[in-house]
Amino acid sequence: MSVLEVRDLTKRFGDVLAVDDLNFAVGEGEIFGFLGGNGAGKTTTLRMVLDIIRPTSGTITVLGSSPDRRNTAAIGFLPEERGLYAQMSAIETIVYFGKLKLMSGIDAKKHGMELLERFDLADRAKSNIGDMSKGMAQKVQLACALVNRPQLLMLDEPFSGLDPVNQGLLEDEILRASQRGAAVMFSTHVMQHAERLCDRLLLLRKGRKRFEGTLEQARDELPGRISALATPEIAGVPGISAATVRNEAHGGWAEYDIRLDQGYSAEQVLESCTAQGIRLRRFEERRPSLHEVFVQLVGSDQEIGS
Amino acid sequence: MNNILLIARREFRQVAAMKSFWLTLLLIPLALAIGPLLTSALDEEEATNVVLIDRAGGSASAAIEQRFALEEDRFVLRDLSRYVRRHDLERADPEAIWAQYDRWYTDADVAAFRQAGGLESALEAIDAVRSEDTPPYEAGAPLYSFANADSDLAASTGDALQARVDAMLEADDDSPAGEAADVVVLVDAGYPQDPTVRLWSNEQPSTGFVTTLQDVLTVDLRQRLLTDQGIAPASAAAIQSAAPAIAVTTPPPGGGAREALLIRSIVPLALAYILMMALMLSGSWMLQGSVEERSNKLLESLLACIRPEELMYGKLLGALAVGFSMILVWLGCAAAVVFFTQGAISDMIRPALEPLTSPGAILAMIYFFVAGYIAISILFVAVGALADSMSEAQGYLMPILLGILLPITLLINVIIAGQEGLLVQVLTWVPIWTPFAVLSRLGMGIEWWEMVGSGILLAGFIALEVIFLGRLFRASLLATGQKPGLKQLVDRFKPVRT
Repeated sequence: MSVLEVRDLTKRFGDVLAVDDLNFAVGEGEIFGFLGGNGAGKTTTLRMVLDIIRPTSGTITVLGSSPDRRNTAAIGFLPEERGLYAQMSAIETIVYFGKLKLMSGIDAKKHGMELLERFDLADRAKSNIGDMSKGMAQKVQLACALVNRPQLLMLDEPFSGLDPVNQGLLEDEILRASQRGAAVMFSTHVMQHAERLCDRLLLLRKGRKRFEGTLEQARDELPGRISALATPEIAGVPGISAATVRNEAHGGWAEYDIRLDQGYSAEQVLESCTAQGIRLRRFEERRPSLHEVFVQLVGSDQEIGS
Repeated sequence: MNNILLIARREFRQVAAMKSFWLTLLLIPLALAIGPLLTSALDEEEATNVVLIDRAGGSASAAIEQRFALEEDRFVLRDLSRYVRRHDLERADPEAIWAQYDRWYTDADVAAFRQAGGLESALEAIDAVRSEDTPPYEAGAPLYSFANADSDLAASTGDALQARVDAMLEADDDSPAGEAADVVVLVDAGYPQDPTVRLWSNEQPSTGFVTTLQDVLTVDLRQRLLTDQGIAPASAAAIQSAAPAIAVTTPPPGGGAREALLIRSIVPLALAYILMMALMLSGSWMLQGSVEERSNKLLESLLACIRPEELMYGKLLGALAVGFSMILVWLGCAAAVVFFTQGAISDMIRPALEPLTSPGAILAMIYFFVAGYIAISILFVAVGALADSMSEAQGYLMPILLGILLPITLLINVIIAGQEGLLVQVLTWVPIWTPFAVLSRLGMGIEWWEMVGSGILLAGFIALEVIFLGRLFRASLLATGQKPGLKQLVDRFKPVRT
């Protein structure tokens, strides 16, 4: 069952088309990566899911109903821009947000303390946010997003500003939420996190979907590459679009960088080589990284800010 | 509703945790308490010490002492009479001179008062009928104490006299009798042929003292001149004492005529002032509440949980709770002062509370006060919704605050002066000034149709404010960093397209 379903979603700000006919769905227990360059429409889409802004057209369904605050108790959200009330203590802040998400004060405090313990902040529970470091405050804000054990957890650039230790902690929390059945949707610029965590990905470019699918499917979007130590006959094997010599070796051998035709796999090329009696000393498949897929589909490195 | 209350409670707690809140909360009662205390501390409690040097036989100094004693008794008689009238104590002795207050007390009246036993005898009669609730009469300290010069001083002349007088004027009040004086009066041996009377004083002598002294000496001089002309002393004295009997009609203390109107206006005018003060003092907290989420970048976190309207209403409610709790504390302090102050203040307040005896007037005061606070608070919250930071918001606030409050200070002064011109009429019908105008006019009298009409207009204005604030709030919430031009500003007031 889809926890979040977006159909034909479009949002215009005057003449600017921020989101263009977007469709996707996120199911229970699924970790969904929402990737795109700056200004791709990620935050606008998340805001529409939260009913902070209204779509120009299209429909959004959250847990079977249109997005409004009736779903508050089921949603957790960590925005890209982070801040809290400086004069409130960590636990007060978590309880406050818990109550806004229709929790009882007792339950919010109990779960809030559990989260603070997990985040190694239990001893700072009564410290004012204003007295905490930026990293600590970010963890408190994450606790605010998680306190209601959301069925739909949305994180907008959650890894930005976190040190490697806290990035690991956040990855653990995302996996934990997924394991208890929550649909997790997050946007990020850092492809390694998406590669490690996401069951499925959606790539946005200028408000329009460029790709949706698994990591493997994303890699399949780019032609495969092979690194091989072979003789020159390899260039004529079916499925190879180009074989570039990287290094010459003795006896007619050379190290080749081979680009495959779209639709051909490394296994097919290897079978052809064997069938044609082409000699190979080394044959190594090189799958494209998500970063390469992203750059290819969405834009340049500069555009994605990574 | 639960979310609105949660937001409001947080707003209230946040402001209540500020030192500036407590400072403001206590500032007004402290100022009100310190004012009278300072006044009473600055009041001269000790009598002015007057030393008389009479080298003309002593009759002039005797006349001076007698006259000042007469004036003291006249003052006591008048004061006692007002006390009796204020507390309806005439039944103690309806025939007593102090129960007659339809005249200016003459010397004969004072003589009759003394004849009847003076203040002591009067208080015995009064205390016999005075209830426990009625505060006892407290006579003020005498204004002057007189002493005759010692022999050395009486004999001194020239520089020696001047040195001695200077020493007396400079001496501490605690010095032994005869060595200190506030005023020294010299009636020289040549008096009355040389009518010069010298007066030394350690400060500018009071007009009352000099006038009375001059009056006494004038009478004395004329008496001597008349008798020198061969007129019998008794006849001369009779001529001197001839005076018209002045019948006086005054309202009871704290009632009647213009004084009564002013006193009836005390509560409504005080409410108008309190409203103005509360808005001035709490305006910055309202702004801070309105700007806070934007400047702290936690708006999206909140809007993921609640609707923008809930956030706005919560903030408004929190701001109102702060303002009203502040006002309640002030009014509580005022009530405590009235309760614990026996005498003049409570007597003055009683007629001032007359307008409160009518349920309609009470309702009108509460309505215009509360509605006025809400109407202007919404403007403050709207200013906060437009700004990204507190400093930017305060830049907008000051001109708005001045624009609202300046006409109000003019209005209140005009009302106190008893005028009801075009300004008052216009301000009554402009919603942001309506509460102040109506409250100020309640004591003096305002037509019912004006009150109802302006009240309805004010309610409509608040409804419009709420609608437009909701739109502005929603449209401005996520527009951080964008400086709206006039067109964008107008657009923010338009309904949200869904």
